[in-house]
Amino acid sequence: MILKVFKTYIIPRIIQYLVVIFIGITITFIIPRLTPIDPVQAAINRLTSYGGSYMEPAAVESLQKTLKELYGLEGTLIEQYLAFWKHLFTFDLGPSLSMFPTPVMEIIATSLPWTFFLLLSSMLISWIVGNILGGLAGYFKDKKWSDVLATIAMSIYPIPYYVMALILVILFVYIFPIFPMMGGYTIGIQPSFSWAFLLDVFKHSILPAISLIIVGIGWWFLSMRSLTSNIVAEDFVTYAEFAGIPKGKLLFSYVMRNGMLPQITNLGLQIGGIFNGAIVTEVAFSYPGVGSLLQKAITNGDFNLMMGISVFSIIAISTASLIIDLLYPLFDPRIRYK
Amino acid sequence: MKKAGLILAVVIVFVSSVFSQVLPNIPRSETLIVDNLHGRVANPGNFNVWIPGALTGHGPQQMVLDGLWYVDPQTGEWINSLAAEPPIYNDDFTKMTVKLRQGLYWSDGVEFTADDVVFTVKNLKNNPGLNGSAEMKQYVKDIYKTDDYTVVFELTQPYTRFHNLFTSLIYSTTYIQPKHIWEKVENPLTFTFNPPVSIAPYVLDSYDSQGYWFLFKKREDWQRTSVGQIYGEPKPNYVLFIYYGADDKKVMAQTRHELDMIFDLTPEAFEVLRNRNPYAIVWYKDFPWAWMDDVNARGLYLNNEKYPFGIKDVRWALTLAINMEEVLKTAYAGIERVTAIHSCPTEYFMDLYYKKLEPWLEDFSLEDGYKPYDSDLANRIAKWAESEYNVKVEDPKSIWGMGWWKYDPEQAEKLLVEKGFSKDKNGRWLLPDGNLWKISILAPADFEIDATRLAFAVADQWRKFGIQVNVETVEAGVFWSRDALGDFDVVADWGKITASSGVPDIWTFIQGFHSQFLIPTGTPATNPNVIRWKVPKRVDEIIEEMGTLHPQDPKIEELTLEFYKIAVEEMPFIPTVINKKFSAFDNYYWTNYPSAENPYMTPSFWWGEFKFMLPRLESTDRK
Repeated sequence: MILKVFKTYIIPRIIQYLVVIFIGITITFIIPRLTPIDPVQAAINRLTSYGGSYMEPAAVESLQKTLKELYGLEGTLIEQYLAFWKHLFTFDLGPSLSMFPTPVMEIIATSLPWTFFLLLSSMLISWIVGNILGGLAGYFKDKKWSDVLATIAMSIYPIPYYVMALILVILFVYIFPIFPMMGGYTIGIQPSFSWAFLLDVFKHSILPAISLIIVGIGWWFLSMRSLTSNIVAEDFVTYAEFAGIPKGKLLFSYVMRNGMLPQITNLGLQIGGIFNGAIVTEVAFSYPGVGSLLQKAITNGDFNLMMGISVFSIIAISTASLIIDLLYPLFDPRIRYK
Repeated sequence: MKKAGLILAVVIVFVSSVFSQVLPNIPRSETLIVDNLHGRVANPGNFNVWIPGALTGHGPQQMVLDGLWYVDPQTGEWINSLAAEPPIYNDDFTKMTVKLRQGLYWSDGVEFTADDVVFTVKNLKNNPGLNGSAEMKQYVKDIYKTDDYTVVFELTQPYTRFHNLFTSLIYSTTYIQPKHIWEKVENPLTFTFNPPVSIAPYVLDSYDSQGYWFLFKKREDWQRTSVGQIYGEPKPNYVLFIYYGADDKKVMAQTRHELDMIFDLTPEAFEVLRNRNPYAIVWYKDFPWAWMDDVNARGLYLNNEKYPFGIKDVRWALTLAINMEEVLKTAYAGIERVTAIHSCPTEYFMDLYYKKLEPWLEDFSLEDGYKPYDSDLANRIAKWAESEYNVKVEDPKSIWGMGWWKYDPEQAEKLLVEKGFSKDKNGRWLLPDGNLWKISILAPADFEIDATRLAFAVADQWRKFGIQVNVETVEAGVFWSRDALGDFDVVADWGKITASSGVPDIWTFIQGFHSQFLIPTGTPATNPNVIRWKVPKRVDEIIEEMGTLHPQDPKIEELTLEFYKIAVEEMPFIPTVINKKFSAFDNYYWTNYPSAENPYMTPSFWWGEFKFMLPRLESTDRK
């Protein structure tokens, strides 16, 4: 039986997973190279754009050749593609072209923990709070507080995130200077695993997290409310009510459990998407993360850094999707591997 | 209710006192806080500025590095920094001797000597890929010291401007490496030089692992640096380079006196700032406020290889179809300085070249005898500013420029019709082959906002004239790649020829336009001639002759004036306005920044020269 499940579902699913990753990475490799961006020219421009060194033509020509070699941009597209995969299997994403020769892995590794910490924690908080409130509001949809909550959520949800972020900055950084204006920790403090440093990091993350949580709660609340209000009307719930099942058990084990299924799928996919960063959050709050790295990589034509962040993102989302698919029967006993 | 409100207020004050201090561990009154123009630096731990593309303006070049010479473009002052005197050439410019300043020490206590200079040059020469490597290989036959403070360069060929490689004319220069550190380095391309050993008056104290701030502390032995010897003790004990974020965050920070020097703001952002912070000043105390002596000017750069921009009369027609008065008002709120010639209208260059050229410009005529120069533009803007801003400007030309070209659509039309252009029944211009004339202007999307504004303002002018124009705004990577390839009709660009410095010599900026370096559209340019201007033979001769003269030879000015005249006749691109800056400085904690009232040097704190401003700042003694 188990062997059959492996053969008919799990192995094909894993193969599909690998194919998706392969195609995703290949597309991400090709697309930047189809744009008019030239990383060598971008580097030369960084030398000269601040009115800086007016290099002699011979020197520029020599530098063009040298940089092309250093950046690994020599050879045909196929040769560069094969070299890329060869390095990828050794976890070498190459040097950043805009911050040469710092390895891409090093740059991502420095920023990723900040993105992960901020986005994961705010995502989980908004998911838990939003789903609980949405479930309650959907189940007790005739209550006044349910309508009030729904109205608040519907008012907040459509606000563009960057507007929300700006409002929070103006209110709580400028008018009432409660939170710091920028950064992941206080200037002058040395990063360490001490409680003092961790508390300082926490303080700096509060406002960006609040901005993400507020917007996130709105979405989870509304979706969960919609799901539970449909489930409540189903026959099995009505039968369970008549059967005298306690309200609490009815709410959590019957209604919300069924409503959670699509929410779990969405959560899984959103967790995978963490690796893209949250560029608007990072820009609005000057908070470290991979989002602003990706934006700089795109504007500077940093192919390697773009690829690096994209590889992480593709693998993360594909893996999240795979895990959800494999674990789904645990959440929904109605589903069997076929 | 009252009690709750009081408690809330106390909590807010307490919490804000805990959260809102920008520098909890250092006295604010001893710290100068400076905007980091590079934004977030993603590899903040790498201080190897000799790698191509490495960032330098976030503190390293200002605080810990130093070069042989600097020229201040505001005043023309020549500064002997690590060198004790200007370069000494032999008669045929094949040898350059440098006398070094004595009594300078690296921050780790090792003395600065000729060994450091010799090592730096050899290190660059022997490591292709390092900044300056190609030039050192091309020009340096040999380098040696004759004593601990004298270095001799033997050149591969006569070169009257070899010292420019070691002079900060604009922004930066070849910085000298500490031999005792770098000689142990196996791979200079991967060495991070962290922590950097300093030869300037500050050392790196700490930096943000995420690249948002860099803190520098004054050396106790600051007297053993060039700055200390020339100008005395730098006043701030600490200098913090920080990136708060977009303009709105910078305005908030300076309003709260948590940012002393801002790189640049839009006029709108500055308007908000000056209404909220009376201590924030740019260059002028009143209108037009902005600093208008940056060393580059903007223009509409036309690809001369693309039809019809290769036709001189078409270029002149496009020029005369621009109402520059309207452009100044709509795009820049009247805050800009125009340039009619292919140069940069700094105060220094206006005195040197613009005033001398004015009589010629007033007399200059096109082939049909039409005189296009408008010397009255500044006066008209001054009148407008009087009613708009309630200010009276005594010398309008010193602010708005000497003059520009007339707005004369009729003359523009005449020039085009003579070349076979015509208009359709809707008044739209048609090319001689009968097709609709369409122009695309390439402009930056999210940087150099003044270039973008120029593009849109001029597009409006040309549309009014009857040309179909669209503006393509693109990100930096795409912009520079297409700029180098010549993949544009028109680009809202800056610099190239229209650059200047604190010396009369412009050879450095125009030498790349020699016809031997002309690269066709489609291949990345290795020179500033992205417009693919096929210069007249006389321009080649001027460049060649200039190259043989010492930069201080009086003939340089004569040749420069002749070059500018030829460029006006040819009009290879349309010069417009200077790269003005709203670099706002907060006078709350620090004062005596360079200003219109006290223009002792350039206010460009993002340049290596910033180190020379620090002894001249004054603390207001506010705690």
